[in-house]
Amino acid sequence: MMSRSVNSAFTTAAKVKNERGYDMLLTGLGLGIALGFAMQRGRFCVTGAFRDLWVTGNTRWITAFLIVIAVQSVGVFTLDAVGVISLSSSAFPWLATVLGAFLFGFAIVLAGGCATGTYYRAGEGLVGSWLALIFYALFSAISKTGVLATGVSGLRSVTVEASTVHGLLGVSPWLLIAVLASAVGLLVRHHLRKRPGARLATLPPRKRGIAHLLFEKQWGAFTTALVIAALAILAWPLSWATGREAGLGITGPSSNIVNYLVSGDAEVIDWGVYLVIGILTGAFIAAKGSGEFRIRIPDAVTTVRSIAGGALMGIGASLAGGCTIGNAMVNTASFELQGWVAFGFMILGTGAATRLFITGPSKARSARNAAAAGSSSQTATPGPNAARASVRR
Amino acid sequence: MAVHVLETDGQVCPFPIVEAKEAIALLDLGDELVINFDCTQATDALPRWAAEEGYPVTNFDRVGDAAWTITVQKA
Repeated sequence: MMSRSVNSAFTTAAKVKNERGYDMLLTGLGLGIALGFAMQRGRFCVTGAFRDLWVTGNTRWITAFLIVIAVQSVGVFTLDAVGVISLSSSAFPWLATVLGAFLFGFAIVLAGGCATGTYYRAGEGLVGSWLALIFYALFSAISKTGVLATGVSGLRSVTVEASTVHGLLGVSPWLLIAVLASAVGLLVRHHLRKRPGARLATLPPRKRGIAHLLFEKQWGAFTTALVIAALAILAWPLSWATGREAGLGITGPSSNIVNYLVSGDAEVIDWGVYLVIGILTGAFIAAKGSGEFRIRIPDAVTTVRSIAGGALMGIGASLAGGCTIGNAMVNTASFELQGWVAFGFMILGTGAATRLFITGPSKARSARNAAAAGSSSQTATPGPNAARASVRR
Repeated sequence: MAVHVLETDGQVCPFPIVEAKEAIALLDLGDELVINFDCTQATDALPRWAAEEGYPVTNFDRVGDAAWTITVQKA
């Protein structure tokens, strides 16, 4: 296989890699492909879940998100109990978490997707998401290992001596899991009961058999959540086996890719890097296979928002110690204070940006339209698209 | 009864649904709103919105790669 004549530095590096296991790293790629596929086909969008709370008050997608946390929680603490992984904790950097999470929640509205959402929409061919992704990865690296690293680690050194919710309360994590699972169960029951009376319109099927199941059938929010929860649990032991002692994570790996590209140092390529490349690949496969891939060029406003959103996401996630996945979906499952505080402040940040960029402008247009309708029905204030809106009679 | 067309191609979610709500508010009962969109998530969000509002959907189809159209009647 490997020639004995290669230089010793290279063999040493290769030996280190082999100890961690190249084939083990490939499990990250496989899991990422499955995750990207599930997110694209299931239309799983965390930004959408948070934003719906502020736009419509709808809790269907946040319920799906909570299902992932609750199910993953059972998995994580079981893996910990049987010794496959061992959860450790450090002091809670409360100040950076609060600031970073609010900033991240704000930024994902601008970018039109959180970290994973941006990865999978990039795989669907949205050029706005390509830009958001590039700036997110770049500013993650700038914040973690670049010129902003000193400031970020300075803010993250402001800590309190508590790390987990169960540690703080002095209770068993299983009690918290029981409480969370019950609450999520009630929410799920509420949503399953209030299914809309009118039948949900669906696209006419064009595929049959396995192709229909994989590339056409609508998954449903809660089914998607269960698939993602299973993958999130599986991520723990697979990542652990390669020496990366964590569950799903997006920001660190994105920063590592930038560091690898500019330094050429292959040592920064870990399981997480394979994971995020897998997400992009899996989403592309899902989108291409279902006729949902197309290169889509954003308009000027969306372009600027995607770039600004991506950059702020990188800074926010680095400050908070994780994105909507690493913090709000994974650190919550292990009941870390950082995860739950970040979850809350991300939702607040999303609310602020939603009011500023979505519901505020929309209300203003509707109010002008209503006033205009009083005088003449033909002078409605146009929305962003009204130039292209038309009336056929 | 009039048919109104709302083009939201190129707009990411939630703008298709936000604009659909604004547009349908201006319609008369019985009027139809054709919403053309290319945000994948809206294939989930728009039919669900119509069902929850009690608006009949008279057409829902693909018009090309990552391009869809849905017709919602104000009721």
